[in-house]
Amino acid sequence: MHDRISVKTGFMMRSMRVLGVAALFLGALTLYAENETPVPTVLVGDVTLKVERQNSEQERLDVGLAVFDPGIPIDRSSHSKLGIFPEIRKAESKFMPVLLRQALVASNAWGVVRVLPDAQMTTELLVTGVIKHSDGSRLELNITAVDATGLVWFDRLYRDQTNSSDYPAAEDRDPYDDMYRQIANDLLNYREGLTERQLQAIRQTAFLRYAASLSEDAFGGYLQKNEQGIYSVVRLPAQGDPMTRRVEGLREQEHLFVDTVDEQYVDLFDEMLVTYSLWREYSRDQALYLDDYEARAQTKERAGRRGTFAAMEQTYNTYKQVKIQEQDLDEMATGFNNEVAPTVMEASGRVFRLNGSLDAQYQEWRDILREIFALETGLPSSN
Amino acid sequence: MMYSYYQRVSSTLLVVICLLLWACSSAPEAPRSLPNAVENRVDFSGFWELDYSQSDDIQANLNALVRDVSRYNRQRSQASGVYQQAGSGVLIGGPGSTNSGASVIGLAQMANLVTQSQLMEITQGENEIKVKRQEDFALSCEFYLGQYHTVDTPLGKEICGWDRHQLVFKIVLPEGLTVQHIFSLGPQGQWLNVATTVISDRVTSPFTVNRVYARYEPSDTGYSCKMTLSRGRVCTTESQ
Repeated sequence: MHDRISVKTGFMMRSMRVLGVAALFLGALTLYAENETPVPTVLVGDVTLKVERQNSEQERLDVGLAVFDPGIPIDRSSHSKLGIFPEIRKAESKFMPVLLRQALVASNAWGVVRVLPDAQMTTELLVTGVIKHSDGSRLELNITAVDATGLVWFDRLYRDQTNSSDYPAAEDRDPYDDMYRQIANDLLNYREGLTERQLQAIRQTAFLRYAASLSEDAFGGYLQKNEQGIYSVVRLPAQGDPMTRRVEGLREQEHLFVDTVDEQYVDLFDEMLVTYSLWREYSRDQALYLDDYEARAQTKERAGRRGTFAAMEQTYNTYKQVKIQEQDLDEMATGFNNEVAPTVMEASGRVFRLNGSLDAQYQEWRDILREIFALETGLPSSN
Repeated sequence: MMYSYYQRVSSTLLVVICLLLWACSSAPEAPRSLPNAVENRVDFSGFWELDYSQSDDIQANLNALVRDVSRYNRQRSQASGVYQQAGSGVLIGGPGSTNSGASVIGLAQMANLVTQSQLMEITQGENEIKVKRQEDFALSCEFYLGQYHTVDTPLGKEICGWDRHQLVFKIVLPEGLTVQHIFSLGPQGQWLNVATTVISDRVTSPFTVNRVYARYEPSDTGYSCKMTLSRGRVCTTESQ
């Protein structure tokens, strides 16, 4: 009898073990699927911006902040479950880089900091971001910084939580200022670890990569790319080379376009700021309601006894107010995303009128500059 | 010997369970209409204006509600052994109790409040609909095959979707208040009926009001409005 039980138990134990291993395997697979590329997480607290008092022009790299990836899932049916308002997210993806730029400029550690309509690897330092979560109580941004040589400075997930003192947000403040300051500090910390020679190599590579994007034939040979995708300068064009001067001129033209677009972003952002701040405050209140709705219901001022018109009207109007506020912002965000003025640019004595979305205008402008370069030099343009 | 016996029994049991599970999952189901099925959908798109002459009279509906709750209260009193003389008029509960006068009239007032919009603008796509209502928040719904759309917030929960050719919006609010709108289109699509039901956990009967809307062209009003970012809502006298 005892043997029979032990045999039976042994078989069951083995089965359990097999099931356990299978469960662990499945669990591991799920974890892997959920976090395909786990990145280090930075929990942001109170942050003081690191400001550089003195630095040489050599140390100042130009920074390009690409419009962030709004992080909107393709499956539209999941948006409301995740609390994502696509139009608001798209608008956030354009003005969050503007806020990060403010922190970088205030740190006095960088050259020109521009918000770019799309990621351009020809900038000296490119910062890209993905909005993982954004509402009034929590912001999560996946930030990646890559320099022109292809070296990844960092790839981190920044997470910041607001508290009641962050609201109502003052006119010149954002509830997530600490996060932008933290990113700015992290970039500066990394840059401080680079030698002057490395910084110079980044600047030269950026220029040559831009030049190669105009004419691979003329400039491609100046650079070398290794197996890890890191660029290095093989040789430099001669000083005073007329072709190099042309490239510099066109690069200035491209920057001029980006600066014009930049002003548009700032103006549109200012228009929407008041409503956006209110929406974030409401969304934080809603998140808090989740935690202690019952407690509040007991203590909040009631307009009347439950079931009376006064009480029901109060309940309905509270909901209505939040909905209208949310819908107004959504409509404004749609305006933010759609309202792009045509840009008029001048190059080589000709005037160009660019239409469409900002990234389409940017692409069109770059194509025009390439054509101009090809016409002026007689070299085939890189496409 | 015993070991292989138990192994055999266990293996057989495992196979039987697997077969049963397979049979359950692959059993042929009777065809049934899914909520939000494409073939059920009606196009509500357009501009709609309230037609009072065809809409319900709230006072008449309130009278009916009072009769309902009086009947309910009378039946309850009788069941509990309290004698109520026939034809003794309105019997409504006292303050704070279910079916109190304030709650019953409050329900009718609420129905009036939530059906005040005189104009509606409906835009409908393959997977979503937005009902912009004058002086109220817009009702919006996304339809995906086989599922009702739910938006859950601490201030209320919205459920919407198709019920055959009707579109249902249900808003469940705190403190036992529920508002439901059912949209249905009249023949030739020239009329839109919105049946709004207000439910309170303090009144035993729901209160329903039917509002009928007629199609109109916005240019008929002599002005048209659109939302702009730089100037907010801008109305012009230009026809669209």
